[in-house]
Amino acid sequence: MELTSDSTIVFEAWGIPVNSTIVNTWIIMVLLTGASMLITRKLRPDVPPNRWRTMLEVIVQGIQSQIQEITIRPARHLLYFAGTLFLFIATSNLLLVVPGFHPPTASLSTTAALALAVLVAVPLFGITSRGFGGYLKTYIEPSVIMLPFNIISEFTRGISLAIRLYGNIMSGAVIAAILLGVAPFFFPVVMDMLGLLTGLVQAYIFAILATVYISSATADPHPTKSEKETT
Amino acid sequence: MSIDWITVAAQVVNFLVLVWLLKRFLYRPILDGIDAREAEIADRMAEAVEAGEKARATEGQYRDQLASLHANEATMADRALRKARDERDVLLANAHARLEQERQDWNAHLAEEGRKYTAELHQAGAGALMSLTRKALDDLADETLEERIVAHVATRLRPMSVDLRKAAGADAEAIATTHNRLPKAARDRLKADLQEVIPDVPMRFETDATQAPGLILRMGGAQVAWTVDAYIDELDALLEEQLAAGGGVRGQGDGH
Repeated sequence: MELTSDSTIVFEAWGIPVNSTIVNTWIIMVLLTGASMLITRKLRPDVPPNRWRTMLEVIVQGIQSQIQEITIRPARHLLYFAGTLFLFIATSNLLLVVPGFHPPTASLSTTAALALAVLVAVPLFGITSRGFGGYLKTYIEPSVIMLPFNIISEFTRGISLAIRLYGNIMSGAVIAAILLGVAPFFFPVVMDMLGLLTGLVQAYIFAILATVYISSATADPHPTKSEKETT
Repeated sequence: MSIDWITVAAQVVNFLVLVWLLKRFLYRPILDGIDAREAEIADRMAEAVEAGEKARATEGQYRDQLASLHANEATMADRALRKARDERDVLLANAHARLEQERQDWNAHLAEEGRKYTAELHQAGAGALMSLTRKALDDLADETLEERIVAHVATRLRPMSVDLRKAAGADAEAIATTHNRLPKAARDRLKADLQEVIPDVPMRFETDATQAPGLILRMGGAQVAWTVDAYIDELDALLEEQLAAGGGVRGQGDGH
């Protein structure tokens, strides 16, 4: 039994092996982009929204409201980044119920890539918000002694993000596969339903943690009175 | 559990591409649509507020106009009522004046009719009296009424001769006025009687249809006369007395 789909090579392109994880990621990308294009292709202000457009508006506004609850300075770029994380991970985890489909989030390479993206995004958002010096200053706060701990903390946050998501999704997929062999009907259905719930919760946790990390990196270390009252 | 770094790199690229794709085909259209709809709703709300304010202003104007119309209506009704009262008073005053005028005219007419009737009655009474007296004189004394009138006046001339001479003065003239022309014999006798009392006085005879039957002899400011007017007045008094007495008797009779 394979624990990861990275070893399943689907085809090779210019000598580079393309595994099942990458192909499944592409499938998810096509699904998300295609659905978005189909729903938003004839978007006009004077046309009342249909049920699909309303569904997308509810999802996007839900993500936006979650970000607004966390960060003081909500920005469109943070929505693009955290929203895409959530949608990608949630779609990937929901496709767990499709027979023969290995969710890319069940691969440590995918979760590591997402964690790496978060690891890079945090300083980028921080530098954009505070400036290069301002962001580096956060590593020596509250004192210089905390510098190594802050650096370690930065990396462990990424690793914990990757391992948490990978462990939850991979374990769900493995357990479902084992139970399919032991008790072919009842238990796999229950476990898959549980996996759907776990997948959505993990997508939410991953996106929220990424937003929190980015928000903490962009937050003003000396907030004004109005900002304190807001928080 | 192993990490394939080529897959990691590919997934990072895939994720970044997915971020760009979703930004292009999902977030921007949806958020722009929401923003446009919110802006449209805000515009409509602003238009609704403006329309509401306009409606309130128009309502205020119409209320003012209505109040003004009501006020004018009351004023106009009051004015019309006052005008109608004035016209009624004028018409009533005119009617009262006309009635008073008609009443006065009617009273004047009645007075005129009474006067005419009295004059006719006097004339008829005088005529009847003269006729009866003439007939009685002719039957009983074989004399004419004119001769007896002349004789009566001549009789009254002698006691008044002094007064007549004073009134006549130096160049006085005697004028004898009668209702009808005197017969020649009566004229001659009157002239002779006057010459006896006042010699050489010229005398002239005149007739006056408005004068009562009889004879009036004037000299300057004095006169000697006999007419039936006194008799007619006595007759009127007698008739009135009789009428009054008849009314009283009738009243007593009615009382019985």
